[in-house]
Parts: sequence; C-alpha cells; structure tokens
Amino acid sequence: MSIPDWVGPVAEYIFEVGLVNTLKISAMALVGSAVIGIVLGTLLTIRFLPSRALIRLYIEVWRGLPILVTIFMIFFLLPALSQQLRIDDPLIAAALGLTLWGSAQVAEATRGAVQSIPREQHEASAALGFGWLGRHAFVILPQALRRLLPPMVGLLVNIIQNTTIAQVIGAPELLEASERQVERLTFEGQEHAIQIYGAVMVIFFVISFPLTRLAAYLEKRLI
Amino acid sequence: MTPLDALALVWDWSFFTENADELLAGMRRTIEASAIGIAGAFVIGLVLGAARAHRVPVVSPVAAIYVEAIRNTPILVQIFMLYFALPQVGIRLDAFTVAWLAVMIWGGAFNTENFRAGFEAVPVRYREAGLALGFGRLSTFVNVTLPIGGRIALPSSINTYISVLKNTSLMYVIAYPEFTTTALQINALTLQTTETFAALAVGYLVIVWTMSAAIRFAESRLALPEEAR
Amino acid sequence: MRRLVVVLSATALAGVLLAAWGTTASARQQGPAEAAKADQRQNLPRLPANIRQRGRFNIAIKCDSPPFGYIDVRGRNAGFDVEIARWFSRFAFGKPNRVNLSCVTTPAREPALTSDRVDMVIATFTWTADRESRIDFSRAYYKATGRLLVPNSAPNTYLPQLAGKTISTTTGSIYDRWMKNCFNDTRVVATDSFTNALLEFRNGRADALMWDDTVLLGIATQDRTLKLTDDLFLPLPYGIGIKQGNTALKRWIDSRLEVMRRRDTFMRILRANVPARNLAAFARNILRPNNRFTYTPGDATSQCP
Repeated sequence: MSIPDWVGPVAEYIFEVGLVNTLKISAMALVGSAVIGIVLGTLLTIRFLPSRALIRLYIEVWRGLPILVTIFMIFFLLPALSQQLRIDDPLIAAALGLTLWGSAQVAEATRGAVQSIPREQHEASAALGFGWLGRHAFVILPQALRRLLPPMVGLLVNIIQNTTIAQVIGAPELLEASERQVERLTFEGQEHAIQIYGAVMVIFFVISFPLTRLAAYLEKRLI
Repeated sequence: MTPLDALALVWDWSFFTENADELLAGMRRTIEASAIGIAGAFVIGLVLGAARAHRVPVVSPVAAIYVEAIRNTPILVQIFMLYFALPQVGIRLDAFTVAWLAVMIWGGAFNTENFRAGFEAVPVRYREAGLALGFGRLSTFVNVTLPIGGRIALPSSINTYISVLKNTSLMYVIAYPEFTTTALQINALTLQTTETFAALAVGYLVIVWTMSAAIRFAESRLALPEEAR
Repeated sequence: MRRLVVVLSATALAGVLLAAWGTTASARQQGPAEAAKADQRQNLPRLPANIRQRGRFNIAIKCDSPPFGYIDVRGRNAGFDVEIARWFSRFAFGKPNRVNLSCVTTPAREPALTSDRVDMVIATFTWTADRESRIDFSRAYYKATGRLLVPNSAPNTYLPQLAGKTISTTTGSIYDRWMKNCFNDTRVVATDSFTNALLEFRNGRADALMWDDTVLLGIATQDRTLKLTDDLFLPLPYGIGIKQGNTALKRWIDSRLEVMRRRDTFMRILRANVPARNLAAFARNILRPNNRFTYTPGDATSQCP
C-alpha cells in the first residue's frame, strides 16, 4: 500500500504552517496566561476590596465568555471602536484571546494555591523579618507555584486544543491549514476531507496525550 | 467632541428592539442544547466515573480510552467529525442533535475524570465501614461513596457544566442557530459590530453567571459538614 | 606607467560591465521610477501617494477558495485574485512581489477595508448595492452566476420547486441572503466553507447545492452522477473592494483592469489556475478584449422570482 500523491504537499503545509502556528499561539498564550494570571492571583489574596473586586470582575468576565466570542471581539470589535486598537495578525488576536481566558484560569488557581499555604508559613516568615513582598516572593509563591504545576500543564493542553477556535478568524493554525488543503483538493476533484480531519485529530492527540500524562504524574508526585 | 459623544455616534439602541426576537431565540437554543448536554454529561460522568474508580472490568478500560480520546482532541474537530464524517457511514444527524451530542460526549469525558477523582477521594475507611455493616458493593457505593464522592466532585463538575454551555457557541461551524451563530449572522447583515457584541457578551455573562450562582448555591447547601463555610 | 595602464583599463572594464548590467537590468524589469514614467506616457492615473511611499500594496485575498485564492501544492498563495494582485504590483512597482498578501475570511473582508488593514480586497467579493453603501468597488472583473447542483434524478428546472426542500450554501453569501429573503419555505443549511456545504449535499442533508456557476461546473464534470440545473440567478459580478472615498485608488485600479482586459491578461491568469477541462466555462466569465460586463444596479438579493 503506497501513500497517495496528494498526501505529501498536504502534510507538508499542515506541519510547516499549521502546526508551527498552533505551537506559536499556544506558547504566547501560555506565557501570557502564566505571567498575568500569577500576578493577578497573588494580588487577589490581599484583603483590599477595590483590587479584589476588579480582579474578580476580570476573572469572571474572561471565564464566563466563550473563547470564540472573546476572539471575535478582539478581531472585529476593537477596530470598530478605534483605529489604534486594530490587531492585524489573526495569530496575535488568537493568542490575546486565549491569554485573557487562560490568565483568568491561572489567577483563580493561583489564588487557591496561595491560600492553601498554611498560615504558619506566613507567620514564620513574618517573624523572620520578611515584609509582604519578601514573604510572598521567597516563601509563599515558590511553594504555591509548585502546586500550580499540574494545573498549568493541564492549561497548556486546553490552550493547544482551543487554538482551533482561531480558525474562525482565519488564523493559519492546524485546523485552518488543513481546511485550506481540503478546499484545494475539492476543487481539483479529490475529496479527502474526512481523512484529513481524522489526521488532524491524531496529531492533536499525539501532542496532548503525553502532556496530560505528565500533568497526572506531577499531581501524584506533589500530593 | 467628548468621548460620550463619540460613543453615541456608534451606538444604536434600535438594534436591540429590532433583533431581540432573533437573539432571544438563539439564547433559547443555546440553553436547550446545554441543558441536554449537561444532563447527559452528569449521567455519563457518574456511571463511567464509578466504573473507573472501582476498576470494573471491560467498562473501565473502555471508559479510559473514551476519556483520553476526547480530552486530548479539540472539541471543534469532534464536532466536525460528528457532523461531516458520520454521514459517510450512514449516520446522518441534524445540527441540533450534533449540538447537544457533541457537548454531551465532551462534557461526559471530563466529568468522568471529575467523578472518578471524587469517588477515589472518599476515605477508604468509610467504604470499609459500609461493607462491614453488611452493605453489598453496590449498596456501599450508592449509600456511602456516591453521596460523599459526588460532593467532592461538585466544584470540578460545575466547571465542566459551565464549559459545556460555553462550548455550544462552537456550533457556529455547523450553523446551528444558537446564540453566537445568530448574533454573528446579524452582524454579517447589519455590520453593527459594537451593538452585536455588546448583546452577545452581556447575554453570555448573564446566563453563565446565573448558572454559576445557582449551582454554587446548591453546592453550599449540599456541602459536607466539615467543608461547610 | 604600467600601473597607470592597469588601473585605467580596470576602471574602463568596470565601467563597461556596470553599463551593461545597468542596461540589461532595465531591459529585464522596470523599476518603480520606470513604471511611473511608463504610466505617464500612456496617460494612466498615478498611484496614490501613500502606497507609492510605502512601496508595497497591502491586499486581502482568500486562502480557501480555489481557483480565486487558495494555497497551492507548494504551500504558496495562488489563484486568479492573487494573480491580479501580483499584476497590480508589477504595474506599480515593476516587480510582482511588492505586495503584502493577507488571508481573509468572508466576514472579515469589509472590516479589513473600513479599519484600514488593507488597501484593497480581491477576495471573491461580490458586488451588492448594500455593500456599495459602505465601501467602494472597482469595475467588475469576474462575472459569476448562481447555479444549483443536483443529482441527475432531479428535474432540470428546480427553482420553482424549492418549497419544502433543503438547500446548502455558505454562510453570509448572496445565496444565503437571497434564500432568506425570497424562499421562506425552503430550508437553508449554511456552512462556513464551500467544501462543508458540498459535504452537506453529498451527505444527503441537502437536496441541492447553490453556488457560483464555474465551481459547481467543476464538481459536476468530475462526478457524473451530478448535474447543474438550467436555473440561472443572481448574476452578481465580483469587484475589488476599496475603502469608501478612495477615488484615487479606484481610478488607478479601474485603469489597470482595463489595461489587463485589452491585453487579455485575465486569460493568461486563468490558464495557470484552472484545469483545462473547465477553462472554457471560466473563460466566459472574465474580462476579455471582446467581453465586457458591469454591475446591474439594484439589490438582486431582494429581487424574488
């Protein structure tokens, strides 16, 4: 059984363009979510109502909206409001949308992780002369971040899956790349949509499954 | 020109009166598909989660494969396959069916993990106590593991149910006229982007926040005594 | 003395080579300055200043709609519309690659213009009176007609019998709108891409597929169990989308389209993008020395049969 002719160019485009862009979006979104989320989540533990309320609002909004709606808003609503807010690159728009959602998830998880650190740690480090910032930077956060590791890996898996939503604004991620190839083949008279979508599923599985296993392993090790 | 003037220039209140019917119909369809999906995800999660936690032969490994396959692939591709690939083997589902079925299958996989973790978190001594008291294995499960494990699983289940509702927005790609699809179609015809997305955002936040609040209220009522705050 | 001779002859040689390279270069391609001078000789409108200064076009094209805008076997942008973009680049800057091509989806075409993301949109953009109220269009450059793709067993005139039937087409297209305006008792399944609409039809969820004549013809030619009905409707040509009010650019575009029409350039482009078996059908729809067409005013999507 030999590989049909159409597979080569399709696979090349899907991997070289689609997969690369999926990974780009995922990386940007993961970094953005982690940085913003950890900062916001830590700030959320401060007993200061205005900041808590604002951060809580941020979290509930970006977790409450479907990612599809968020991405559409960034790509179509922002330019309608102001020329300056225009994001030309669908990849950036998608990464931004995923970051808003992801950072809300991380913030919530960080809050839980920070609050799960026993009081004794706070008291002991305060007794040793650490201020709020020092306490959090050197004692609390390192422990909290370790507890965050499994959910962060889980978040990465979710982000990778959710990059497919960017297809609707035309970002050339894996699913969109495969769609473009499908369209070309259909026009040439070869209809292979199902095989190609099936292959895309397998690619996502191959990327995600090891990460899911890693998250489970980390969870067991840290408990 | 003050910022408020600028906003008035782009805001058109009549958009809402003109399109209210269509948007509400879309919202209704979102809630319909979500409700069925959530109910199904609950049942699937419960049954398969129990099977996984108790290592029931045959069912448990099959459930594991189901869970891993669904959790590690994008729901958008799952929707594509249900809608476009199944007919090629003779199963032709209409858009509404795919809408609730896709989110049910997706939610069920995540919920299975939620319930499995919940059941496995029930301290062994409770189960042993039940068995010692003469409950059979099934009885122990129903009377001991389920009530406790189910409550432990509640927070993560809630997240899954809310995600099920948000994922119905993806039915955009099969043109099932739920809330997001309807709003985007209106936007394509009227190009009143600001009003459309305002309606869309407010609509979803209202539904999700209400649902969230309701479930958290139920959770607080159902909480185990030692976790009640 | 000898050193002087060597230096002088080396300089002379260098000078000769430089002159030769210079003349062959200008013979090979016209730089932007030469292109502008060529324009003036032919009395064609000049390129708007902002684009001239930028040195590149920003053009939105389709990446999933063969044969107009798609990704070819080598992973590059290709298609009828893409070639027009490259010809514009040749006209303006002397080279075909002075253009930033960005992929757009159907709903993103108008916002791309209104938000100044691109200078123009060459993306199977059908002219409608409704769109004309928000953006400007160039002259028509491709004449598309709506057709229905049905199984061979279906009748040859299908439009009058659409009541109770299901039609598949793409979301937001003129067909989608026309169906919603005029055929209240016909179900429409709209998908976000043409292949998905075709899959709907093939999977039996739709009784007929409604879309552009030439693409459907390609499908029918490949699949002998399908045919096009005799119904012809919605003859709405494609135009190049331009931001409203940009008359300088519109004049430039229209003039160059006319140049291409007279030189039969569209036929050249077609040959490179369409399989030979479908060439004749497509050739009827493009601008050629003996083929002109223009927009019919009025809103065709609300004109019900």
